[in-house]
Amino acid sequence: MPLPELDPTRPPPGPTRPPPGPFRPGFWRSPLRGPSLTAVLGLVLLIGTPIVVITGLISNVAYQPLLGANSIGTNLSPLDFYVFTWPTRPVWLYAVTEGLHVSIGLALFPVLLVKLWSVFPRLFEWPPVRSPAHALERLSIALLVGSAMFEFITGIFVMQFYYPFPFFFTSAHYYGAWVFIGAFGAHATLKFGTMRRGLRTRGEVMEAAGVAPSGVSLSGASLTAASPAPATMSRRVLLGTVGAGSLLLLLQGAGGSIGGPFRFLSLFGPHGTAGSGPVDFPITETAAAAGITPEIVGAAWRLDVVGAKSMQLSREQLLAMPQHTYDLPIACTEGWSTMQRWTGVRLRDLATLVDVHEAAMVTTTSVQAGGYLVTLGTEQVADEQSLLALGVNGVDLSLDHGFPARVISPAVPGTHCHKWVSKLEFSPVSA
Amino acid sequence: MISRFRSLYGASPLHLLVLLACFVIAGAGAAGWYLDSSDWHGVVEWFVAAMVVCDLVLFPLSSLVDRIVFLRARRAGAENGLAAAVPRRRALVFRVSAIPYVRVPALLSGLLLITFAPVILRRASLGFQQHTGNTNNVYVGRWLAITAVLFGLSALAYAFSVWRARAAGPQ
Repeated sequence: MPLPELDPTRPPPGPTRPPPGPFRPGFWRSPLRGPSLTAVLGLVLLIGTPIVVITGLISNVAYQPLLGANSIGTNLSPLDFYVFTWPTRPVWLYAVTEGLHVSIGLALFPVLLVKLWSVFPRLFEWPPVRSPAHALERLSIALLVGSAMFEFITGIFVMQFYYPFPFFFTSAHYYGAWVFIGAFGAHATLKFGTMRRGLRTRGEVMEAAGVAPSGVSLSGASLTAASPAPATMSRRVLLGTVGAGSLLLLLQGAGGSIGGPFRFLSLFGPHGTAGSGPVDFPITETAAAAGITPEIVGAAWRLDVVGAKSMQLSREQLLAMPQHTYDLPIACTEGWSTMQRWTGVRLRDLATLVDVHEAAMVTTTSVQAGGYLVTLGTEQVADEQSLLALGVNGVDLSLDHGFPARVISPAVPGTHCHKWVSKLEFSPVSA
Repeated sequence: MISRFRSLYGASPLHLLVLLACFVIAGAGAAGWYLDSSDWHGVVEWFVAAMVVCDLVLFPLSSLVDRIVFLRARRAGAENGLAAAVPRRRALVFRVSAIPYVRVPALLSGLLLITFAPVILRRASLGFQQHTGNTNNVYVGRWLAITAVLFGLSALAYAFSVWRARAAGPQ
């Protein structure tokens, strides 16, 4: 590391003379940095990021935030627009989009980290501001770095049931995504040419030949170290390491998402199982965590069904109704999913029972104290595969899986498949 | 006109247009944070922390660790170039630098640690076990096991490279 120069005859730091330390080009010595490294990582991010962003926005649509009890916030932002309603087919739709969101997101995390490292010297470029254009672009970069890390950190934490922040994750992650989309779009547009030049040319070769890379009027000095330290590791090994890291993280998401024999690959995924035999599949919340005891859902349990009239049904009465069996996935927002065989009463049969014959939404309530409400849309209620499930894989639901009754509906997020249901309220929608 | 704009602004009008679009979209997102009922002060604090965490914590720290671990090797390397980044008397045998074979598994292990720190260091919510029916303390063992496997594979790869270099004979 070069020592600060203390020669008193030198002029003080100014626009043309950077202060000592990281502001001097000689401070940055890694021979790995260079335009081609940054360009390769930038290309990977350019391809991968839209997948994560689009599947993230799709997840928000799948939550149907404009319906009844689902609102993620106050819905005051101009960004709360929805161009389509959430379909019920294919049944694995949400399992795939959310699996991609989490798995590709994880895979891009090491790429982002090394990309940021590759442009680290730019943080200390001197002079800090050369023109209004330069100042605005640096501001957009601050938004880009902040929002990217904000999205990755909050997403990765929540995937592990870690909520150390004081704000509501869902809305903060959603609006943060829009900050990111704005900043990412601008960066990708403004730097596309730089990336192409970096990919096309061998930066090292050019600079070794004394040729300055072209088109760097705004970005200042080259990313290549002015006086590189001796190489201790090749650029190819670094890129290989990034690839291996991406693969390791991808498996953590994909293992839980594909499930079945691949679930073991998700070594750090929260894939606890709740029970053995037919009920040996993952859950997000145990009955104990939700404060559900066998007494609460015992013989005294009744289901309130509200529509044009109200009814109270016991589990025996529900079992006496026509039963239907479908293979449907539970697809959690954390990225894991699991396909199981559910048996129960169709939601639309229950609507008919309380004299709701037209298109209707349903708002579900659980016996859980302080639990949340969920509203499913008309498509979900009308679908023949939307069930109030009483059993799974040929046996009664276990307490952890929502005994005495749970909602299961094709292609909806797992959190919208209420367990321990106590009330279904159908509200007709005038067409 | 355009050239006058360029000299004042420092780039083409298109550059300004793209950045204005960026700030409008990002501003709408930030408005969502503000208008949302949850804690927007907290969001701003976390946003700023996220913005600087790599530059102020992750990169300096990893660079420091790397410098300390490879201090000797670096000195030797500075004197004799990459091939001799090992004690000189054994240079004939070990023509292969060991540095990448330490750095790569360390980087991968570190990546897993920072990504899954909440479960590995058991910082995930207190209700984790009840929530998932999974015990929280299996993860540190898994991380150590993966780390051991990574270093083991790397050691095998290093041994193979050394064997190959020896087979090739002194150059």
